[in-house]
Amino acid sequence: MKWSTIRAALILVCQLSLIFLLQSCQTAPAPPEVEQALRQEQDLWRAGASFYAPEDYEKYRGSLATARKFFEQEELKIGFFRKYDKVKKDFAAVLAEGERIRKLVEDKKASLAGEIVARKKDLQARYETLNTLSLELSQRTLSRKQLAQADVLFRELDRFLEKGNYDEARSRLGAIDSLLNQAENILRQQLERYMSQEEIARWKKMAERAVEKSRSGNQLVILVSKLERKLVVLRGGEPLKSYEVGLGFNGLSDKLHAGDNATPEGEYRVIKKVSPSKFGKALLINYPNEEDIKRFNEAKKKGYLTASSRIGGLIEIHGGGKDGLTQGCVALDDQEMEELFRLIPVGTPVTIVGTTDPNNKIIAILRREQK
Amino acid sequence: MKNLMKLSVLGLVVVFLFTSCAKQPTQQIDEAKAAIAAVQAAKGDIYAKEELKKLNDDLQAALDEVNAQSKKLFKKYGKAKEMLAKVKTDAEAVKALIPARIEEAKNAALTAQNEAKAAFDEAKALLDKAPKGKGTKADIEAMKADLAGLEAQLTEVQTAIDGEDYFGAKDKALSIKDKAAAIAEQVKAAIAKVKR
Repeated sequence: MKWSTIRAALILVCQLSLIFLLQSCQTAPAPPEVEQALRQEQDLWRAGASFYAPEDYEKYRGSLATARKFFEQEELKIGFFRKYDKVKKDFAAVLAEGERIRKLVEDKKASLAGEIVARKKDLQARYETLNTLSLELSQRTLSRKQLAQADVLFRELDRFLEKGNYDEARSRLGAIDSLLNQAENILRQQLERYMSQEEIARWKKMAERAVEKSRSGNQLVILVSKLERKLVVLRGGEPLKSYEVGLGFNGLSDKLHAGDNATPEGEYRVIKKVSPSKFGKALLINYPNEEDIKRFNEAKKKGYLTASSRIGGLIEIHGGGKDGLTQGCVALDDQEMEELFRLIPVGTPVTIVGTTDPNNKIIAILRREQK
Repeated sequence: MKNLMKLSVLGLVVVFLFTSCAKQPTQQIDEAKAAIAAVQAAKGDIYAKEELKKLNDDLQAALDEVNAQSKKLFKKYGKAKEMLAKVKTDAEAVKALIPARIEEAKNAALTAQNEAKAAFDEAKALLDKAPKGKGTKADIEAMKADLAGLEAQLTEVQTAIDGEDYFGAKDKALSIKDKAAAIAEQVKAAIAKVKR
């Protein structure tokens, strides 16, 4: 063989070797799926996959770690020998699994958000009912504190829902429920009697006696219905005048003792016309009557009242404004009180009842809530 | 034959040196774990959630590398040590970020608390000077009771701040502020009713 041929062959070998080396040094680009999967894992974590789909997410992370390991092994090889086919396949499978988990997490979150919103809607309806009841009562302070706190929590809940913080949102639902229960218990103590058909029947009988009294002697009789906040003057069994009235801070309760701010229920009569009184003109009634005294003594005997409790007195129908909150008296606007004062003589029977309406507004509101 | 024996012994010594000298980087592992625990103790799970997650992932990757090497005949822990050292350095950097973030959250909570208190005081002042005229007395009593409810919630904001739950305190304070503003509007409407 000639030297020139050997030299040419050597040059060719060198050139080929150079090409091979250059080829090997070049880093083949990693498949895009690798980067996508790493980003996907972060996104899944941010979306709360570890919370909403913990088992699937752990399995997914395991598959990702295996795929990464294989990828790193491939990366250690010289470029020419790298084979990314399996890497691509592995990462594509990881991405598909990640996508499945993403949808699962989204579904779970949507379902949870739906549950929270539905529960919130129920609680809001309950809140509205209690709020309406609370504002309907003469003593509007009842349960307002709890309702105001519940309102704040509703606002907090909305913020958490907006942020997708369903755990906190759910905890607020529990707190709202508890506050509404407290508010309902307070209102129930006041309103239970107004929902009892037996109690309404008893009041109705008292009112019928008042009508009968007015009819039989063709005399004036005053009938006060506390729930409706109405004072009606009857003559000959028919309404002659009707006025809106204000009651005590605790006006819907039946008066039992001094300082309870309740308006008494029962059959009384006007025993004195007072002019001027602390609140314009006034008609003093004979509270406590015999029945009131009996009830008071029984309560004391049973230990419901302390030994120092007093039964109270000085219950009047007076002026000062129907919007006023009294300590148990029945209040009218001054102009109307002037008229009533002129009309009513001493000795006029006064009947005070809770309500006579078996479908009164409390029952109507509660029925609405049940619907 | 003698030479062959010598070569075999030499070979065994080399193999022994390769396999036994590379010990697991337990000290570096402990240091990296301690650095992450310090981030957690500094409330990193609240104020550096994402960074903490990345630190834990990086630590896991380093531990996987240690584990992989420990199964090999010729163990090389160099890469694992580098990874562990990086976890430690990163954790220290994250920990250093947290006080500023806490301060920021605290300031935001305090600002929201002040705003809520100001809105509450405004509603209270309006209510105090509201004329208890015809048709407003009962409304005013109801609003007073509403404000008492808000006052109870304001106390809870302070409790949250004292417990360093600054995000919770801020959300509650902003909700109180909204409710107080709504009450103030009701008071203004009641005052307007009297003026009419």
